[in-house]
Amino acid sequence: MSQQEVPLPGGVLPTAPAPAGWEERIARFLLTRTPLGSLVRWVAGIKASVHAKLLAGFLLVTLLVIGMGVMNLQTIAKMTSQGQLLDEAHERVHWSQDIQHALAMQMNFTAMALLLKSEATVENILRENNRFNNTLARLEKAAPPEEVELIQRIRTAQGEALTTVADIANLVRDGKVDEAMRLQQNKQYPLYRRIEDFVSQLVERERNQMDRLRASVVAANRKTLILMGSSATALILLALLLGFVISWSFILPVQNAHGFLSEVAKGNFAATINVPNRDEFGALASHMNHMSQELHRLSEDQHRASLELQRLNEQLQQASKAKSNFLANMSHELRTPMNAILGFVEMMLDEIYGEVPPHLREPLMDVQTNGKHLLRLINDVLDLSKIEAGRMELVLAEYSVQDVVETVRASLQSLALEKGLQFEAAVGNDIPLALGDGKRIMQCLMNLVGNALKFSKQGSVAVGVEQQGENLLYRVSDTGIGIPKEELENIFVEFQQLDTAITREFSGTGLGLNITKKFVEMHGGRIWVESELGKGSTFFFSIPLRVNHVETT
Amino acid sequence: MSDKTVLYVEDNEFNLKMVRQLLARTAYRLIEATDGEQGVATALKEVPDLILMDIQLPKLSGLDATRRLRADPKTAAIPIIVITSFALSGDDQKAKDAGATAYMAKPYSPRELLQTIRKLLPEQ
Repeated sequence: MSQQEVPLPGGVLPTAPAPAGWEERIARFLLTRTPLGSLVRWVAGIKASVHAKLLAGFLLVTLLVIGMGVMNLQTIAKMTSQGQLLDEAHERVHWSQDIQHALAMQMNFTAMALLLKSEATVENILRENNRFNNTLARLEKAAPPEEVELIQRIRTAQGEALTTVADIANLVRDGKVDEAMRLQQNKQYPLYRRIEDFVSQLVERERNQMDRLRASVVAANRKTLILMGSSATALILLALLLGFVISWSFILPVQNAHGFLSEVAKGNFAATINVPNRDEFGALASHMNHMSQELHRLSEDQHRASLELQRLNEQLQQASKAKSNFLANMSHELRTPMNAILGFVEMMLDEIYGEVPPHLREPLMDVQTNGKHLLRLINDVLDLSKIEAGRMELVLAEYSVQDVVETVRASLQSLALEKGLQFEAAVGNDIPLALGDGKRIMQCLMNLVGNALKFSKQGSVAVGVEQQGENLLYRVSDTGIGIPKEELENIFVEFQQLDTAITREFSGTGLGLNITKKFVEMHGGRIWVESELGKGSTFFFSIPLRVNHVETT
Repeated sequence: MSDKTVLYVEDNEFNLKMVRQLLARTAYRLIEATDGEQGVATALKEVPDLILMDIQLPKLSGLDATRRLRADPKTAAIPIIVITSFALSGDDQKAKDAGATAYMAKPYSPRELLQTIRKLLPEQ
């Protein structure tokens, strides 16, 4: 499942970031289908820091490992001591067998002494007797209390047997062999048999003891093995459990936060995060909720503000449109009185009303000049307001670039002559008919050339048009006052003339360049200027030779 | 004097006055009308030799009046100079389409107006 489709969970089951791997699926199974889920919640709910929880988990596991180590050491010590006991038991068995052997040798040597009637053999008997006694003494020292009585009895019987051997030896020395043989037959032999019986019992006991000990060692070893194995298993399981519970008590809030933050990132500021943790993650979650509330509030505020802005903007646009419409509609109303003003003045100057007294001619010409200037202003303002109201439409038709340039030259030739400026217009005859609004292009060129003539006190003004592939490049250069670098960007902005003094001197409307720029752009072209202060300026505009669609301004 | 008649349809009295004074010293006779309907009626009644028609007139616009005069055989052949407003784009085209012989942008120079009238309707 993808986190986008799932609403933010409040409890243990958060949305999973990224596709879940098998280990993640196992973890999720354990969290949902086993009590581990509640355990994780419980651990998350413990009011302790993440640091404390991690420390507690690690300390618990470490302590258990130490405990197991101690237990193992104890077991090893116990096994070592049991091995020693076993060794001792083994030695005692060996000794008791030695005693048995010494007894058999004694009997053997006694029989031999009788057969050989040799006193020397008695030495051998005594030696075996000594070995018997020594070994018995050693055995007695290490013997358990219940064996001591049996050993006493063996020693008593052996003492008696040795006395008998001495008697037999004396009889042999005295040559009383028959008597000696009888003594051996009747007394010594039964005595040996008794001792042998005792010794056999002793051997049997030691052997049994050893077997018991061995069995108990084997049992103890098995027990130890089981104990150690199970405690190691329990320790591993406990460590896994602790690791799982602690880590998931941290992973779950992180995944919750992940889901929450992706909701927030999608712009759902109303989302909340709910984790059971009472640690840093809990604090983090409550901060996130606070943040989301704040974001929600801000977003609502912003939404309201933007609606308000939109409303205001619409109002403004309507007002602006109404203003522009009003201005455009005023066109005819303004021109009608201008027509009368300029007409009457011209007629006066043309002396239709009779001769004009010389002292009135200058003020009449001033009226005419200012009337014409007012008219230009009205024209420019109306053009601009129409452009801004979106009511300016280009009338696309074929026009002759040569005619446009010639008309401009013819109209402004007299002004150039008046100012004593050289005025050249060069346009190639090979430029084909162009498609566009010829009147507006003429207006643009008229504006630029008018400016060039206006701002040049001496020198020359040159107009040129070149075809550059699909475009026409118009160029108007002058030797006028030039434009400072920092002003170059502003000159196409409405009402921007260099300064008011210049405005007074050159009496421009300050709108011509702006209108020119807009017409050029409506043709899909661009306008720019290169200038050096004091040396002159060159204005360029480039428009498509054939305009196929009109750009809206 | 041949007494050629020029009809000026214009609602502004100063413009009327100006043209009246402009033509006073010429051989043309001026008759006047102050709205579109009156202009058409006067033209049909008087059948002038030339008509100056302002484009924006009360009751009936100058373009509509021009169209009506062109539609009537009595006035169809009379030269009509339509006075347009420079800023209203396509006015000159509209004037041509309505049947204007020539057009002049307002504000016009009285001198140029007289030249145009003389070109279309020689004084003598």
